This record gives sequence, structure tokens and C-alpha cells, in this order.
Amino acid sequence: MKKRGVGLGVSFYGTGYGNGFPDVSNAEVQLLEGGKVGIFVGATEVGQGAKTAMIQIGAEALNMDHKDIVLVSEDTSQMMDSGTAAATRQTYNTGNAVKIACENFNKRLFDLAKVELGLNSTAGLVAQDGDIYLGIFPQKRISYKDLSEKYKDDIIRVVGSFTAQTVKMDDETGQGAPYWPYTFNACMVLVEVDTNTGRVELLKAAFAQDVGRAVNPSLVKGQMDGGFAMSLGYTLFEDLALENGVMKNRKFSKYLLPTSMDMIDVENIIIEDPESTAPYGAKGIGEPVTIPIGPAILNAIYDASGVRIFNLPVTPEKLMKALRESEESEAI
Amino acid sequence: MTLKTVGKSIIRVDAYSKVTGKALYPQDIYLDDMLYAKTLRSKVPHANIKIDTREAERQEGVVRIFTHKDVPLNEHGVVLKDHNVFAADKVRQIGAPIAFVVGESEEACINGMNKIKVEYEELPGVFDPLEAMKEGSPKVHGQSNIIYHYKLRCGDIEEGFKNCVAIAENTYTTHMQDHAFLQPEAGISYMEEDGTLVVAVATQYPHYDREEIARTLKLEEEKVKVINTNVGGAFGAREDITIQIHLALAALTLNRPVKVVFGREESFQAHSKRHPMVMKYKTGADKDGYLQAMEAEIVGDSGAYCSWAMNVLRKAGVHATGPYHIPNVKVDSYAVYTNNPFTGAMRGFGATQIPNAAEQQMDILAEKLGISPFEIRQKNIFKTGSKTATGQVLLESVPLDRCLEELVKRYDEFLKLKNVVDETIEEGVL
Repeated sequence: MKKRGVGLGVSFYGTGYGNGFPDVSNAEVQLLEGGKVGIFVGATEVGQGAKTAMIQIGAEALNMDHKDIVLVSEDTSQMMDSGTAAATRQTYNTGNAVKIACENFNKRLFDLAKVELGLNSTAGLVAQDGDIYLGIFPQKRISYKDLSEKYKDDIIRVVGSFTAQTVKMDDETGQGAPYWPYTFNACMVLVEVDTNTGRVELLKAAFAQDVGRAVNPSLVKGQMDGGFAMSLGYTLFEDLALENGVMKNRKFSKYLLPTSMDMIDVENIIIEDPESTAPYGAKGIGEPVTIPIGPAILNAIYDASGVRIFNLPVTPEKLMKALRESEESEAI
Repeated sequence: MTLKTVGKSIIRVDAYSKVTGKALYPQDIYLDDMLYAKTLRSKVPHANIKIDTREAERQEGVVRIFTHKDVPLNEHGVVLKDHNVFAADKVRQIGAPIAFVVGESEEACINGMNKIKVEYEELPGVFDPLEAMKEGSPKVHGQSNIIYHYKLRCGDIEEGFKNCVAIAENTYTTHMQDHAFLQPEAGISYMEEDGTLVVAVATQYPHYDREEIARTLKLEEEKVKVINTNVGGAFGAREDITIQIHLALAALTLNRPVKVVFGREESFQAHSKRHPMVMKYKTGADKDGYLQAMEAEIVGDSGAYCSWAMNVLRKAGVHATGPYHIPNVKVDSYAVYTNNPFTGAMRGFGATQIPNAAEQQMDILAEKLGISPFEIRQKNIFKTGSKTATGQVLLESVPLDRCLEELVKRYDEFLKLKNVVDETIEEGVL
């Protein structure tokens, strides 16, 4: 028999290294030949979209087209340390460093523009699309390209740094502010449990994720789909069959990952509530998108079948056993 | 605030190179005069070992076999330096690297590897973290297997449970998970003309890799360059050192480019896993559905090495309450060594395991109280101004209520599909 159930899961997730450990990101911004701008930052692209997000934050801060920005994040001899691409920290931490570096870069260029344009002050200068001009008299204008030619022997490169704030917890009570910021989410799934085979199939899902502000909504939704699939595999399929230190399932023919046949079209809902300490309000979401799906599936399995699974993963064998035990206890 | 670029779904800058196959991953890189390498790994989970490489070194095409004797400082690790670059006299998990065979071809390396004699004097192992915590258990490192104990104390749980009309008490377990990224570990190392040692790998943190290479090989950091190629997925498994130091040592010693590429099975054995956890929970709510007390004991299996165990079990402990205001909380979380494959960072970092317990507890309590899963959550979730169990004030950007509201809006639609007549479901129409 096939039985259906709905389940909920909600979670929170603290980002950053945490617990008072210095969590520092650095970024450098340089005026390149031809007036393009280079951002040199150790934000590794692991597929999450760090390069694109850092360019977007940079383009926003520099008020220029993202296509005129070149980002270098691959070579330790060319960039400063921006911490690891982990802990859901790149958008918030390194995003802040990039934004600060770009703001410092603008200030530097304003100082140069003041000299080049023969002004008394930098007040009222505007940076826009690779030009610097005076708002009240836009004819006073110089392009990044011209500046790059004038200063080609004197590299214009500035640094921006950001250190996240956390408070180490007390050893005895655990009191402190271990992570900042926190990110929140909620997921609802509809599953179908086949009581003859123990298989669980996902039919429908809605997933709401707080992002502070979405730097790139498509990338956010991509992360949400990926996190969902990873959690689906964790909850229902992936089993290393570990016994006495031996992983029996250590190839993809035995370690079952979800495929496109198992994945469903998740309705991803982006919730924006900007965080004032974040770059343009954006919080990281790389890890939290993996968290509430499993619990929602587990609660849906119970709603469908009346069986609670206390031990992951919910393989068909395990679910069949639990269903049989539950029938037997009802019969008594 | 009007934004021009932030908030736009621009096409990712690496999309074109990746979808056209132009993006370079480390296994795509070939250099002139390049050598290949293979890693000999432990076949048993706990043993004293003796290694004899003499016959292997004489095999045709084998250029050099590196072992612990060749490493100036044979220890690394993201928190504790409890990993060996190569096992010296003891192995603590299956898959621990013992030797790095460098040769003119992959075949020569395999041939050489097969001729290395490893004498295993097997030791009793410990594979269950609860067993490992006991005094008489086999010890993986030093005198105790307990690496870390995090304590969270807030309010008075005994008083709290007195006010509860519904209490749920259960033990939950989660298993080990592999990151299963698409691109197994691979890398290439070489010397530049000015003496700079270059290691090109797919990594999450090139500056950390550089630091560990320089530290273990006693080089100036400035003389080491890590180039991060395209990364074919990471999810936490590219945080610990795997091939970086082996490659660096080989290129530095031989002054020739050296390449190593893992297959899938070796990848499974080489990198960390998600911590399995045993989560003992007791959660109580009062007659109005408000949570009053929660007690949890969480034990995480760190396997043979620490990696991020402290940070992961700390994160598990801090997130043990779920996103709920609970006035009385007691959490103890432990990280424990065993002879299982080592565990480390994996997407969610200890906070992923927790809600499999905490969120089922919420539904169990709701059922006992006769309220809906939505209602119990709406009553207890963090809102702006809430204080977490660690005493942290959530000043802003706490839109969990809005996340839940979005689901409430869709609930009827889900319910309608749930209640489709059984016959239709059985016929497989839907």
C-alpha cells in the first residue's frame, strides 16, 4: 500500500569560524591597464558561486559594470588570505572585505581625481561606470582608463579587511556569542511511503530560505536545489556500510546517490531581511540549505506511516522492519 | 537602498568554461618530463607497522618511494596536528597513507607499490564512539579517546521539566556520509626556475595548504605557491590535507613535475566524512505548548583523527536547541576518537545531524499536546530580540516566522495531494 504524509523541518545556522576565533578576510583592489578593475581575493570558487558573488558585490561598491571587473582567486602569490571557503562565510566575511576594499579604492581614486581635475576637495565626487566626475559640474570628469595610463608606473592597489565579531563561550556554561550572523529556513515535503517495499518517494516540496539579501537569486536557488538533493541522499540512500572500520560501499555502484530520477522540482522561496553588518545585507546560505530537508522527510514518513525512524539512513530494509514491528505491536 | 548589480541573476562567470569543458581541473594538466605517483595506504584499521621498500625501489620505472623518513616534520591537521604525512610506526585507520611511489608511468608506480612490504602487527580497534569513551577501550592517540567536551548550561532543567505536561525522550543516531564530489582528488607539483615550489590542486583553502606544505617541509611560505585549479565540488572534504604535502615533497626532492590522480575508491578512503552522531534527547513543553526544558547528550565519532571534531561538536551543541527559545537547557557534546575513517567538515558541520533529532522531538511533543506541527513551532521559534541558549541576542534579520508563513500558505495544497483517494495512489495514477 502507498501512504502519503506531510512533514516540516526548520533550522537555524550560525556562520563563520565562530567562538571568538579571529575570522579575517582580506581583499585587494587594483586599477588595471585600460581602466578595468582587478579584485584579488582568496575566495575559492568551489561551485557555490563565490567568484560571481564577489564580482557583484565589487561592482555594486564601485558602481560599475560587473563585466569590467576581473577577479583573481586562484594563486597564493597573487592574493592575500581570505580564509577558507567553508563555514558559510565567504559571502558575509569576504563579501564585506571586498566591499571595504572597493570603498577604499574609490577614496584613493577620488584623491587622485582631485589632483588631476584641479579641485579643492573630493567632496561631491561620484564614481560611475569607470568614470569619476563632480556631481555639481559633471564636465569635471576623468576616466579610470586615463587614470590607469597616468599612473601606470605607480600601481594603484588598495586593501580591505573584515574581521567578524564573535565571543568565545565560557568553558563551564557555554555562554557566549559563538556565531554571527545566524541564518534561518523552513522546509515542507510531501512523501509517499510504499509499505510493501519500504521505499520513500518525494512528491512535492516547498523550501523557504532566509538569505538576508540575495546577491544572485539564481545562484541562491541553485544552492537550495543542491542542498536539497544532498540531504535527500543523506536521509534516504547514502550508506557506507561501515563495519569494523571498513567502508564496504566505497564506489558509486554501491554508495547510492540521488539521481535526477529521485530529485523533484522544489519550490524554492527566497526570504529577504537584510542584515545590517553584512555586505548589502547578504548572509551566507551554502550549508544551511542542506539542513531542514532531512527532518522534514522524517516527519513526513511518520505522518504517512505512523512509524518514527530514529536511525539514519531510512533505507527500505530499515523502514520495512520498522513497519513490521509497528504492525506487530498494534496486533498485540 | 537601490542596488544595480546585487540582486541580479547575472550568469556565473565560470559558467561558460565549465559547460564547454574548457575549465581545467588538476587531472587535465600535463607537463613535460612529468612523473606519476601512487599512494600506498593502510589495509587495516589499527596496527603497528614495519615498512620495507627495498625491493619496490628496484622495480623498473620506479624513481623514488617516499615514506615518513623523508618528511622533516611528519604531522599536520587543521586543529590538532595528529595526522601524519605518512604513517611512521602505527596506522589508525584503513586508508592512512604509508608511502608515495613516484615513477615514470602509473603502471610503474602500481608495480612498485605492490612490491612494498608492510608488516602489520594488528592491535585491537575501537569502532563505536560510546565504547571508545569507556576507560578500558583501546586508545587511538594518547591516554583518552575523548577529544573534546562542550558544555552548555542555561537555567535549571530540573525546574523546567517540572513545568512540563509533555515530555519526549528518545535517542537518535546518524551515519557517516561521504561528500561524493564529482572530481576525485588530483594534483600536480613542479619547481619554478627561481626555486619556488608550486602545487596545483583543487582545494577549499589554498593559503592553509601553503602553510602546511611550508611547515612540514620546513620551507619559507614565500617559497611555496599553491594554485587552485577549478574545483569539482568540495563540501568540506577539501579542507584537510590529502595530496598536497606528498606532491610538494616529491617535486622538491626530484626537481621534476609530479602528478597524482585518485580513483573513486581511493577518494573515499582519503578524505574526511560527516560525523556520525548519537543524540540522546529529552525535551519538554508546558500545557500551552511552550518549550520549558531540553537536555541533550551528543557524541560524535571523529574516527582516527581530530580534523574539525572540536568545532563540529561545538556547533552541534550550540545548535542542539533548534531555532527555539527554551529557558532551561543542558547540553553535553563530545568528540571521540575511534579507528573508523576520520570525519571532518561536511556541509552543515555538526548542525546538519542535530535537527534529525530536535525536529522529530518537536513533532512528537506536538502530537502529545494535541497541537499541529506548525503551531508548536510558531509558538517557540526565535524572533527578533530572542535570546539563544548561549545568551546571544538576535538583534535583526531573524525572519524564521516569514519562512514558516510561506509554508503555512501552501499547506492546504500539500494536504489535498496527501488526501488523494487511496485507490488512485494504488493504481499509480499520480
